[in-house]
Amino acid sequence: MTRAGITARGGAYLVLGIVLFLPWFTTDFAKFCSLGAIYAMMGLSLNIVVGYTGQLSLGHQGFLGLGALVTANVVAQADLPSYVGIALGVLASAAVAIVLGLVALRITGLYLSLITLVFGSAIATSLFALPSLTNNNSGVQLVRPPYFSGNGDWYLVCVVVLLAVYYLDYRLTASKTGRALLAIKENERVAEAFGIGVTSYKLLAFALSGAIAGLAGGLYAFRSEIYSDKDFQDPQGFALALLFVVLCVVGGLGNRLGVVVAGVFFGILNDLLDRLFGIGWVKDVVENIPLLKGYYGANKGSLASLIGSLLLLQTLLFNPGGIGGQLRPLSRWMTGNRFELHEAAESGPAAVEGSSVRA
Amino acid sequence: MSVALLGHAATTAVPLAFDTQLKIGQPLILGIVQGAIYGLIGLGLVLLYKSNRIFNFAQAEFGTIAGLCTLLALNGRLFGISWHMPYAVAAVVGVLIGTLTAVATERLVIRPLFNRPKVILVVGTVGVLLTLIAIESLAFPQGDTLPAFNDPKQGAVTDLKDPSFRVGFAGYNVSWAQVLTLIVLVALALGAVAFFRYSRQGTAILAVSQEPTAAQAVGISVSRVSLLTWTLAGFLGSVAGLLALQSTLVGPGIVTGTALVGGITAAVLGGITSLPGAFLGGMLVGLIQTFAAANVDFRGSQSVVVGLVLLLVLLVKPTGLLGSEA
Repeated sequence: MTRAGITARGGAYLVLGIVLFLPWFTTDFAKFCSLGAIYAMMGLSLNIVVGYTGQLSLGHQGFLGLGALVTANVVAQADLPSYVGIALGVLASAAVAIVLGLVALRITGLYLSLITLVFGSAIATSLFALPSLTNNNSGVQLVRPPYFSGNGDWYLVCVVVLLAVYYLDYRLTASKTGRALLAIKENERVAEAFGIGVTSYKLLAFALSGAIAGLAGGLYAFRSEIYSDKDFQDPQGFALALLFVVLCVVGGLGNRLGVVVAGVFFGILNDLLDRLFGIGWVKDVVENIPLLKGYYGANKGSLASLIGSLLLLQTLLFNPGGIGGQLRPLSRWMTGNRFELHEAAESGPAAVEGSSVRA
Repeated sequence: MSVALLGHAATTAVPLAFDTQLKIGQPLILGIVQGAIYGLIGLGLVLLYKSNRIFNFAQAEFGTIAGLCTLLALNGRLFGISWHMPYAVAAVVGVLIGTLTAVATERLVIRPLFNRPKVILVVGTVGVLLTLIAIESLAFPQGDTLPAFNDPKQGAVTDLKDPSFRVGFAGYNVSWAQVLTLIVLVALALGAVAFFRYSRQGTAILAVSQEPTAAQAVGISVSRVSLLTWTLAGFLGSVAGLLALQSTLVGPGIVTGTALVGGITAAVLGGITSLPGAFLGGMLVGLIQTFAAANVDFRGSQSVVVGLVLLLVLLVKPTGLLGSEA
């Protein structure tokens, strides 16, 4: 790398850092940006299950909700410090994820996605709605820890945690575990014949996925400053589970950078649309367009959901690499390689990134 | 589903510890009717599983499309022209549009992804589901109540003024819509059996599902069979949706929310490759659900019990009750 190359990349990282820091100055927008960071974490969590082990989970909102539930109740009802609450939420989600992983050892493919679908709605209707855990259905109020009470401050916490999770995920794929998971995904029996402990690695993947989702859940509870099970009950809960699948696919399965970008995009999309459509002349125009005028009706989130689902179909049909595939020349340049639009096929651990999902 | 609630015949006088009517009779009727809808959804899922080896997560949403389009056909207004169609015509329009949605799904999403991994196809159906729900909520922000087919207020096809009638069994009110649901289920079940046993098209579908390459070798067009299967599945989903939505507030994603998980569970419980199994599974899931709701005093017992049943079936007998392969 030349001197100029180092300077240019350093400048790029600086710009990225500044852009990441900007929402701190806002209040409402920071709240949506922290939702973006939380969705990005959920994307990374689901990416471990879908992208690395090749199983489709349709119940990941259950882990998010469990993390939020445990964190909120430990902090608000048991009066323990917030980091204890978040840690317990992580543990609870990881434990439940291991149970689901045990099921995944015997049941794979379509049937597993079915089990996860039922898991998500069953845990929401049974556990999440227990009156003792939801303050008699009125929601558990919780206060953010001192020094982090503002929306902007909490946004920074979310970003730092996201970066940590991102690094953890990078270490996972670059390590022996990542290679083992890839081998298991490609062919379980061959992997076993080479001495890879399929059982423990699969359980590890599920536990890690659950732990990250639980962490995201804890941040989510503090972000909204109230825990209510309504976010996870079925029309919304199912929509949330599907949203996580959408952002994983749109980001590019197995591609952590793409998943994070997609997560942030879907996190702030609703707010951006709200701002855009709130402008006077935009409203005048949109109200005369047949389908779009429904945006001002009862269902605010439906336009974002339409954009998301069309992006999903577009990704599946025309652009299987997703956002991550598009960003790949840039991300390779940022990590010190030459800028090439069409790289040569490579082998080794990095091949985890772009490989497809099987079932 | 309009819950035609029980008439209390004899129970008011002596407070019994175990109310037979409440705990057994009512769940029995509701369960059978609910199970009929699950069975219809499950039947479509089985058909698509046989031909494409996937679950179609958009299956129940074809029903919502049918319901919304029926509503629109009953009392429509577009570009200043308004119309009122008779109920039968509106229902046909709704089912037609629901079926066309399935056909479009096959053409635009399934066919291009045909040779990709199955998970990608499943995610494709999820994408279709989300797109349909989003379009519905943009086009019908408020939602409306779909009247029962014999509701005297709107486009009744019969002279049955009373939307419910009293059946001689333990003094329950059963609505005509519920009776219709059962009749349609039986008719479609017999029709499906006849179609797959006696017609060339039905045999072709079975042939492709068993061995696509060999079927192609004897001159069956796999892509035409796929289109036919999706048409049938769309029709079944639309009919199921219309029946499920009788005198219900129709909003975006309603049939998916109420009947998709039940339908999938029904298909798996009966054996994902077995058509009669889907009906049997539907009945069982419907009954298990309503009995659990009536007898297990625990929040969300319906979905928990169905989840447990599904888990148990998959762990103990993954082929289901009547299926031959997992």
